[in-house]
Amino acid sequence: MNATATPTAVVSARDVTRRYGEGDAAVDALRGVTLDIVPGQFAAVMGPSGSGKSTLMHILAGLDKPTSGTVEIAGTDITDLSDSRLTLLRRHQVGFIFQFFNLLPMLTAEENILLPLRLAGESIDRTWADAVIDQVGLSDRRKHRPSELSGGQQQRVAIARALASRPAVLFADEPTGNLDSSTSGEILKLLREMVTQYGQTMVMVTHDANAAAMADRVLFLADGQIVRDQGRSEASDVLAAMAEVSAL
Amino acid sequence: MMQVAIRGLWGRKLRTVLTALSIVLGTAMITGTFILRDQINNAFSDIFHEGNKGIDVVLSKQTAFTSDNGTVAGPLPESVIATAKTADGVDKVEGQIQATGSIVIDGKYVTSSGGAPNLVFSYVTEPFSNSQFIAGGPPTDNKVAINQKLANDEHLKTGDRVKLATDAGVVPVTISGVFKLAGVSSIGGATLVVPTFADAQRWYDRVGKTSVVYLSAQQGVSPAELKQNVEAVVSNDVKVQTGQENADQQTSDVEGATSFLTYILLAFAGAAVFVGLFIIFNTYSITVAQRMREFAMLRTLGASRRQVMRSVLLEAALMGVVASLIGIGFGILLAIGLNALFKAVGVDLPTAALSIPIVWSVLLPLGVGLGAALVASVAPAVKATRVPPIAALREGFTLPRGVLAPYIPYIGIAGAALGVGVIAFAIRAGGGGSRVLLTMAAGAIIAFLGMSMLSQLLIVPIAGALGAVLELVLRVSRFLGRIRDRIPVLGPLVRRVMYGLTLGYVWAAIITALILFSVLRGGVKAGTLIGAVVVLAIGGALIYFLWRRRLREWPWDASSPTAGVLARENTSRNPNRTAVTSAALMIGVALIVFVAVFVNGFKESFLGAIDRSITSDMIIQGQSFQSIPAPVVNAAAKVPGVATASGIQFADAKIGNGGIDTVNGVDPTTFSNVYRFDWLKGGSNQLLRTLTPDDALIEEQFAKSHDLNPGDTFNITSIDGNKLHLTVHGEYKDPSLMTGLIIPSSTLAKFSPGSKDPGIVLVSFDQGPAGAQAERAIRQALKSFPAAKVQTNAEYKRDAEDFVNGLLQFLYVLLAMCLIISLIGIVNTLALSVFERTREIGMLRAVGMTRRQLRRVIRYESTITAIIGGILGIVVGLVFGWIVAQGLSDQGLIFVVPYSQLVGFLIVATLFGILAAILPARRAAKLNVLEALQYE
Repeated sequence: MNATATPTAVVSARDVTRRYGEGDAAVDALRGVTLDIVPGQFAAVMGPSGSGKSTLMHILAGLDKPTSGTVEIAGTDITDLSDSRLTLLRRHQVGFIFQFFNLLPMLTAEENILLPLRLAGESIDRTWADAVIDQVGLSDRRKHRPSELSGGQQQRVAIARALASRPAVLFADEPTGNLDSSTSGEILKLLREMVTQYGQTMVMVTHDANAAAMADRVLFLADGQIVRDQGRSEASDVLAAMAEVSAL
Repeated sequence: MMQVAIRGLWGRKLRTVLTALSIVLGTAMITGTFILRDQINNAFSDIFHEGNKGIDVVLSKQTAFTSDNGTVAGPLPESVIATAKTADGVDKVEGQIQATGSIVIDGKYVTSSGGAPNLVFSYVTEPFSNSQFIAGGPPTDNKVAINQKLANDEHLKTGDRVKLATDAGVVPVTISGVFKLAGVSSIGGATLVVPTFADAQRWYDRVGKTSVVYLSAQQGVSPAELKQNVEAVVSNDVKVQTGQENADQQTSDVEGATSFLTYILLAFAGAAVFVGLFIIFNTYSITVAQRMREFAMLRTLGASRRQVMRSVLLEAALMGVVASLIGIGFGILLAIGLNALFKAVGVDLPTAALSIPIVWSVLLPLGVGLGAALVASVAPAVKATRVPPIAALREGFTLPRGVLAPYIPYIGIAGAALGVGVIAFAIRAGGGGSRVLLTMAAGAIIAFLGMSMLSQLLIVPIAGALGAVLELVLRVSRFLGRIRDRIPVLGPLVRRVMYGLTLGYVWAAIITALILFSVLRGGVKAGTLIGAVVVLAIGGALIYFLWRRRLREWPWDASSPTAGVLARENTSRNPNRTAVTSAALMIGVALIVFVAVFVNGFKESFLGAIDRSITSDMIIQGQSFQSIPAPVVNAAAKVPGVATASGIQFADAKIGNGGIDTVNGVDPTTFSNVYRFDWLKGGSNQLLRTLTPDDALIEEQFAKSHDLNPGDTFNITSIDGNKLHLTVHGEYKDPSLMTGLIIPSSTLAKFSPGSKDPGIVLVSFDQGPAGAQAERAIRQALKSFPAAKVQTNAEYKRDAEDFVNGLLQFLYVLLAMCLIISLIGIVNTLALSVFERTREIGMLRAVGMTRRQLRRVIRYESTITAIIGGILGIVVGLVFGWIVAQGLSDQGLIFVVPYSQLVGFLIVATLFGILAAILPARRAAKLNVLEALQYE
């Protein structure tokens, strides 16, 4: 650990590589990525398919382990953590939003939202939970099961679930990938609000230029490396950058 | 399609193996049973045919019917020997006395192992003898020869002086020799003592009599010819058989006895296969649902509905055939193992070389296994045909429910009611044994099927209730945990200890220590030392392995009620699946509960009847269920302090023109002193005292079935062919102890001479100090009759209870097979559910569920399913038991709820749930979060 992580960074990666398989069949998904996400930042990760953007997110979130390099979340080096400690770290510091919502079908919206807190066996901060549910606009859908909700509503449940434990950082994996464009817009607006209003740190993997345009920072990955790192951009700029990156 | 089927099986190995196991166990039992039956029967046939080799013709008392209860005809007059000799073509003639009795060593009657009889057969010379002396020689006066097993077991050798229990008391004898019988040391574990003919006559009250007569033919005379010649000279109450006929009859008698065991084993095999059906059905239902994409894809590639159906059926059939073949293999091993087991526990059944009856132990189980696999997979296969090609393209396509689906619970209710009705009907109809039992079995199958459909409705409420209890327990434990953690110093320590107790390696250490302790307690020998080292090595490896495994899970997360909630919801989200899974367990538990209710009811009614009716202070019975020498009654009566000693004889007799019932012989002058009659229709003890040889007292059931009233007359025929014309003198009620009818004992002794000895003697004491001494005095006085087992009423009842409990345990062991199969079913369903919920598990792990919590969810789910099965099984078992008890209440059976045993069954069900979860939970916990999340 020669490079010192920025002390204020919520997530920081140093020289992270990830290799799948061995020998001739080995694939290098990441080839040395270093980055810091500071508190309150909304970062979008873009890149053509196979660029390693999903792998990067998985490693930053502690779902996967790097082949070399180190990752810290909220000041904890997660590279050598046991499965148990990693689970507890995820439980307390990390929130997830998935493309396919991944709600438990037999629980109501509210039960799904409170699930991580219940798993932690913590007493639930009702005011915060109510505020979150209110914020995502599900106050009148608390008792509904996922099958009774629309795709957008299900994703709102997932967002509320991710926020309920006040994670240090929230990872969103193609959060609009499974939604129509108008619903996508609403979800993106909601995510933006979370960042602006509560200072929620967020890392979003997407290939939707409109989604990336909502972020404070857009990272472009190609062949397992960060090839571009720019600030807040218009959708058209993002598209242009993507075209440029893909052409590399 | 064949290729698809084979690949399908191969691709899901664990599932295939688990499903196949449910067939393997059932078919193995069928195969094993038939092999064992043939082995035993062949062996007996060999022995009897070998034993009759030198005998051309056998004379015995003609019998009027065959008795299932061991009633035998009386002896022949000795003069038959001389008469037979006058027949043409006779070479040699010899009589043989056959009685029961055994050696007495240090005042103790030597019983045979496994309840086999203690026989006394007088010596016969060549060519009739079937014994080969391995030491000493034939008996002479006051000497006896004994069979090899008896000699070995009691360490007796030629020249030893021992005592022999006879009808005339204990007599001193000397061992003249030790022999093998038709090449074996013992026939089925029986002891055999061989005195001379004259001694046997004297000792066993057969002076001037002979039990059987053996004849050999002169050169050139065939046994059949000799038989004809002998028939011409002897009276027609003598049964004349050739040696071959006699051997055949002996063989078929034994086959009759072993067929009972065969039927019991087959019934349990059937139950095992039936439980297996549920497991196959459930597995195929779940996999068809999981493979919809595959079927849709096959359809888009041009497979017809019929081909899809065939591929599922073919897969099931392949599995069924392979599983049956494995089962047949196991069955052969099982037969060999059972043989060894019987030998180990002392039931020395002779066995011929292993022969495998192709039809019964290969084709039948193969058919049963294949049939079970096909029957259980038809519905899932039909379901597979309903998958439209479009399902291949759509995420999360679900099949529309079948047309019948909404009605299934109602069909279930109807089925359960019908099944229960059939059982009640069968019980009420009574009559022929096997038909009633088969009807009842059919009723039970219908009821179980109905119940499993109906239970869909019950899953959600029961799971809800169990989940609520579980949640409460978890909440309380969390609350207590929080309090504990607040206690300074001691709190963390207690936490450590409690945590330790939940860990595998702590238990592994404890168990290892216990095994080590018991190994070493046997004293330090080379063998135990090796044992200790092995135990230490295995235990140490286990502890190390588990320690490492668990260490990764630190720190411990607080127990959270959420695991309980998730488990409850998981069992409720697919009620059909949970219903079928728990139904498999339900059947096993229901059968066990039914057996428990039935046997306990039988026991209670028997013991209750003793308490109600027997007013004596002591009960004397014979050793090994044999009768008691008649002089015991007088010997006991003469003991100071004894007020009354009254014997009861039991004999089967043919009533009127049909039906066989028990005739009880009692002493009219004394019997009411030891037995309290429950008189009907104005009867009283006075009636008993005025019972003449032409009178009978009849039991209520007997009166009903033969439509008799006091004053009516009826005929009975004894096994010897003697007839009695009796007048009904009175009617009483005792459906447990004195069924049938009562006649004076002196009449019975003449009527059925083979049953002249009492089966039981009841003894009552005087009031006062003499009576108090009587118990010891009587034991002392009857020392000369060690064949009589003298017990107080309490001892007798405890004996009876032990016997019944032993029977119960035997049945439990057999029924455990059903439970094990249902355990496999739970494992299978859980494993498939885990597989199905891979993505969900990934999500749960991603949002912070630890491996421990995940395992806990699956364990709770399994436990809830198992407890549902247990509860339903107990309910169904109680209902069955109640119906049967109601149906048989007029025969004295009472309905007893064995509460403590029911609690035990529920605990076993819970343990099964925990056990079943181990493998699936481990699999789920091992899933890689990332791969699980991306799983399609």
